[in-house]
Amino acid sequence: MNKTMRILLASCGTLALATAASADTVRIGITQNNVGIDSYQTTYERAFIAAAEANPDVEVIVLDAGGDVARQISQMQDLIQQQVDAIIIWPTDGQALVPAVRNAHNAGIPVVVTNSNIAEAGMDFIAAFSGPNNIQQGIYSAEMMCDALGGEGQIVQITGMPGYTTAIERQQGFDERLAEMCPDVTQLDIQPGDWNRERAQRTMETFLTRFDTIDGVYSGDDNMGVGALNAAIDAGRAEGMVFIGATNFAVGYDAMARGEYWGSVYQSPVDDAEAALQTALDVLAGEDVPKLNYFDTPKITQENMDEFDRPVF
Amino acid sequence: MLLNRLKAGGPAIAKQGILVAFILFMIVFSFMSDRFLTPDNIMSVFRQSAIIGVMALGVTIVVIGGNLDLSVGSMLSFATVLVVDLHDKVGPELAIPIMVLATLCLGAINGFLIGILRLNSLIVTLGMLSAIQGLVLIYSGGQNVDIVDQRGTWFAIFGRGSVLGIAAPIIIFGLLAILFHVIMTTTPFGRKVYAVGGNPTASVFSGIPRSRIVFTTYLISALCVAVAAIILGSRVMGSQNNVGQGYELQVLAAVILGGTSLLGGAGSILKTVLGVLMLAFIQNGLILMGQPYYTQWLVTWVVIIVAVWLDVAAKRGRLFSPIA
Amino acid sequence: MSNLTDITPLRWLMRNPIWGFVLLVFIFFSLMSDHFFDYRNFQNILVQTSTIGLIALGMTLVMINGNIDLSVGATLALAAAFAVDVQSWAMFATWGNWQILPAVCLALLVGLLMGAINGFIVWKTGVDAFIVTLGAMLGIRGLVFVYTGESSFYAMNFAYSDFSALSVGPLPVLAVIFLVCTLIVHLVLSRTVHGRNTYAVGGNREAAVNAGIRVGPHMMVNFMIIGFLAALSGVLLSTQMGAATPNLGRDYELWVITAVVLGGTKLTGGKGDIIGTLGGVLAIGILRNGMNLMQVPAFYVYVILGSILIAVLFLDKRFNRTEDGGLRL
Repeated sequence: MNKTMRILLASCGTLALATAASADTVRIGITQNNVGIDSYQTTYERAFIAAAEANPDVEVIVLDAGGDVARQISQMQDLIQQQVDAIIIWPTDGQALVPAVRNAHNAGIPVVVTNSNIAEAGMDFIAAFSGPNNIQQGIYSAEMMCDALGGEGQIVQITGMPGYTTAIERQQGFDERLAEMCPDVTQLDIQPGDWNRERAQRTMETFLTRFDTIDGVYSGDDNMGVGALNAAIDAGRAEGMVFIGATNFAVGYDAMARGEYWGSVYQSPVDDAEAALQTALDVLAGEDVPKLNYFDTPKITQENMDEFDRPVF
Repeated sequence: MLLNRLKAGGPAIAKQGILVAFILFMIVFSFMSDRFLTPDNIMSVFRQSAIIGVMALGVTIVVIGGNLDLSVGSMLSFATVLVVDLHDKVGPELAIPIMVLATLCLGAINGFLIGILRLNSLIVTLGMLSAIQGLVLIYSGGQNVDIVDQRGTWFAIFGRGSVLGIAAPIIIFGLLAILFHVIMTTTPFGRKVYAVGGNPTASVFSGIPRSRIVFTTYLISALCVAVAAIILGSRVMGSQNNVGQGYELQVLAAVILGGTSLLGGAGSILKTVLGVLMLAFIQNGLILMGQPYYTQWLVTWVVIIVAVWLDVAAKRGRLFSPIA
Repeated sequence: MSNLTDITPLRWLMRNPIWGFVLLVFIFFSLMSDHFFDYRNFQNILVQTSTIGLIALGMTLVMINGNIDLSVGATLALAAAFAVDVQSWAMFATWGNWQILPAVCLALLVGLLMGAINGFIVWKTGVDAFIVTLGAMLGIRGLVFVYTGESSFYAMNFAYSDFSALSVGPLPVLAVIFLVCTLIVHLVLSRTVHGRNTYAVGGNREAAVNAGIRVGPHMMVNFMIIGFLAALSGVLLSTQMGAATPNLGRDYELWVITAVVLGGTKLTGGKGDIIGTLGGVLAIGILRNGMNLMQVPAFYVYVILGSILIAVLFLDKRFNRTEDGGLRL
């Protein structure tokens, strides 16, 4: 209902709002990656809107690219067209958005990149980046895997949607750190789970048929990790198998509480969204904002999980 | 040579193109990986293919009736999210019937637009694909849904239970396949579906209620989606909004591989089952061989075209198309 | 085709209901959003439309033939990957900005080749184009992943992405390319032998064969045209990004088909024109742009686009029935 109301308000009130906007109100446009593909992004969007509503001086324009690079470029154009004061972008692809960000920069609109960073070539054109460090999350996961296995064993990896930056970075951080820290842990195979629990479950079933010994499973997030866990339980082989994810979901948290899941990386979409908005406001206020603002994403394991709230997604 | 043999009518074998391809394929793969033909792996592939398989049964009937259904993927997302979400709110005994009814309503909308109003099925179901995807997101607010008490609910039997060592999804898929096979081959309804798809005009003159038949095929398709959603929800004990995204094409590929003609009027439920299994074994086999995931797309490309080509060639009695 | 003289604006709109719809949404968004009715926004809409639009031109030909092409999204991604990657090949290192030229040529060639493969298979095997291109949609996407190794390519040379910011007179260069292509394909379809054959083959294949048209090669040419246009669209898209991503163009085939059907082309073949298709792509482009400007939540956009598609199909059927029944307005 809330959403319907918002549409009605948006449609009837756009004219009124635009004229009523006083000089000290800032208009910030955000274009997100793919709301609805997972709960993280949805929770992020809600938290973002809530944070903006709590601040009377902020008016936000919330758009979603639906995972499509071209649509996100269009949305950047549309935002530039509306001459917003600042743009926050959650890039669908780190490389491909560089020219669009550059256009905004050339139009005098500061751009804040949120959640997953833009490619090196675009760093000159952004005001700041705010978000977690996906490579670091992969590194943390590798370290947990190493600890859990005592530096030795055979593991498989289930990655996110192929070709997307987040999936690639979480894999990259994990692969590099694992090879360096635990050369005796071998990765038997890497296959995608498409951020989808059922597909991860299917992939794991095939791994279980193919390999007689699997000591550990690393997944791009807990949603897929729990799919892998389901497959192992069904095959009666979950006992002693180490499951580690790169982002903690509620299902992963619960499985950890049951002692079935080893650990993950704690990342709050609420922190993520609030940090992005705050960074944009700081930039607009003319404060000296560092280029890279990583917020902390600590390791969460069965041992220290009491220190964390159950994720809301 | 092949041409001559086809002309001379080694038709008995040639007409079973999909079966021949399937057997050849299984033999080749079993040489490539010694895990491929183990009972465990075969069972696991059967179980994995049940969801796509059940949906493919319904779509086969729609296609035999001369139409397409591209909305089944979104509909699967809708049904799974609904049944999982309601499971914790009203209990599985109510969640299942509510979900089935709601899904049938979507099927009825398809059936009404295509059967009664005679709109083009490709476009209508394309529109429904988008609209239902939106509905799911609005319903769930974009959140994943999960069943909290995963170990305690009897809802688990559909995805995780087994009878005499055979997993429940396989039993459901098998029983439905037999049921629809019998319906399509022995009942008046089945004959009418073939008639409506084969020659719509003639069927109307011979007094077959075309609108009602087409309408019913979409209800059946929706029913199959509902069953697939029960298996999926029970297997995963949760759902996300895009869970069925892209399934419509996998389902359609399986139906096509089974030799069902997109022109309508011809096709077989049992061959669709073969098509489903073949796609599942391709995916499974290539992963067993350690190939990267995108190899399966390339292999599927070749397999689909060759299998359908042989099928078409057998029917017309010559390998190459007669068009100049 | 009726005489030019008895076409009044009203009758013209009756025959092209999609343009009535375009007019309607145009007025609607102009009233509802004060950012919509703005020259720069019109430029944006044209640029945003050009991606889907270019492919839709080719799809119109293929669909009038009675065929369909589902592989265009994958072809677009493959061409974009070539266009961006070939620039950085060592053999062109000394060419300066000219290194873009062989890259773009090769990309367009790849598009032609993919179209030719599809067309050849349809011609020789007699398998339905829907099936052939459904397979190709998977297979060509596989080729993209094989080629890119699942990561994105990006152009070191900013001159490449600056191209998309160029203007010809008052219009952005991408829009100009799209409009020029539209005009060319329109002329091909309405004024040439190939165009007449396109209608003939789709309308009544047997009669076309009897009239001496070589149906197979004819269809193959149209598949090559759509392959070329998909590749061109991919190249232009990659200039907007200065990069190519392996997932580029996913689901585009569905939007292209939607636009073409909205424009009045019949899936059964034999009917349709470029003017209608232009209306179809503009309708989708304006709707997307307008809904962005009005901030319609993404979830509702899906429902609205889906419903509009079905509604237009329904209205189109009503209108056409009126004409068939001989009722005059």
